[in-house]
Amino acid sequence: MVDILGYLRPDGQLGIRNHVAIIYTTHCSLVVAEKLHSLFPEGTQVFGYPGGCALREGPFNKIVALGQHSSYAAALVVGLGCEGTEAYMVAEAIAKSGKPVEAVKINQEGGDLKTIEKGSRILVKLLQHASLAERAKMTPADLIVGQECGGSDATSGLASNPITGVAADLLIEAGGTYMHSEVEELLGCGEALAARAVNEQVAREIKEIIEEAERRCFESGRFSWGYGNILGGLTSIDEKSAGCLSKSGTKPLQGILRKYERPKTKGYYIQIGEPGSGTFHGDPEGVNQFAACGAHLCLFTTGCGSTTGGLIPVIKIIANPKRMQLIEDNADFDATPVMRGEKTIREMGEELYKEILAVAAGKRTKSEIYRHYEA
Amino acid sequence: MNRKTILLNVMDNVATALTDLKKGEKVTASLDDKSYEIVLLEDIEMGHKIALRDIAEGETVIKYGMPIGKALSPIRAGQWVHVHNCRSHRWGFHNEKYGLRA
Repeated sequence: MVDILGYLRPDGQLGIRNHVAIIYTTHCSLVVAEKLHSLFPEGTQVFGYPGGCALREGPFNKIVALGQHSSYAAALVVGLGCEGTEAYMVAEAIAKSGKPVEAVKINQEGGDLKTIEKGSRILVKLLQHASLAERAKMTPADLIVGQECGGSDATSGLASNPITGVAADLLIEAGGTYMHSEVEELLGCGEALAARAVNEQVAREIKEIIEEAERRCFESGRFSWGYGNILGGLTSIDEKSAGCLSKSGTKPLQGILRKYERPKTKGYYIQIGEPGSGTFHGDPEGVNQFAACGAHLCLFTTGCGSTTGGLIPVIKIIANPKRMQLIEDNADFDATPVMRGEKTIREMGEELYKEILAVAAGKRTKSEIYRHYEA
Repeated sequence: MNRKTILLNVMDNVATALTDLKKGEKVTASLDDKSYEIVLLEDIEMGHKIALRDIAEGETVIKYGMPIGKALSPIRAGQWVHVHNCRSHRWGFHNEKYGLRA
């Protein structure tokens, strides 16, 4: 068993990484925020809300939730000064988690250079604070793991997704928490998921969400289905959905995470993001939505290969032998033995679970080493 | 010896080819305590499905332990299972768009 030495935050959260967040509140402060990050690339990550001129609840909640994430020892908010998503308001909301948060406004400081100077001094102080973060032992029960897919192919449903399902079950058996999203890919799975729901309300909710996704597909005539799927061997949307559902494992469904909130209990969750913030989104956006719900790291199954990263460590899993050979530099977990018939899904799932614990204990993923901190 | 098929759930009546398989080949599909020995009645490409036992017309085809469609005609063990002999009653209409009868 690997020892996971986490970072204890003032609100009791345990983090597996220790960064300082640099958060821009509008498009106009993005450049300054990125320059500050480039001055301290090792200890900082940058994200924000480009559309922050107007104050909107969903994106505001998201940057606050991310700022409060267990990976961050402290945060610096960078605003222009006239935006609706006001920098001090963001800072104050994040500071409720007890961590030090400071804010600078470019309009008040007098331009880029003075803001960078002041921001740099603040960052030095916050980085020193981060280096003193209290360490505490973590167990798998403290972990929250997200699951995202991108660039799927026939091997996703046959190997990668079932493997993550096994790892999810092992994590939950150890007391941990697991979540995935992408309900649009689960057409026809409403009954199966409802049967796994912990209570009537969750059962009703998940059935409604999937029925709604089905209605949208019928109305628009757009299904996640094409000739390539049939050529690859998939006979029906039901089969494709079942392959997707295999990433969920077999444990009871605890609830639906609709807002950027951390799961209230341990176990298996489906995350659908904040209403109005879109249902289809890019892969790093998906990873960061898990982060906003408290996920420590994210599993990422890909058939074609992907560069995806995000604000939390991403473990990229590939089962397609040809693609694995081609894009090995960006892959973290080799699931090709399943496709080569050398190992079972169970065996590879157990290995993936060990990899999750290793990354939680500090092993850096490719997305981290390349600083694919997409946000 | 490496497995040539994958059986995803013990409830399933189909397995999936992990590599291109030839008519007449004898393959094993197993998971936990379930194991099937099948002689292939036709060529089956990687990623495509093989019937593990005889499936009657109208019977549900099961993969991942989930219903994925109904047999349009009787399917014998070792036959290829795809859009020509299996169709989802909810979504099957979509295949017509691509010129496939099923």
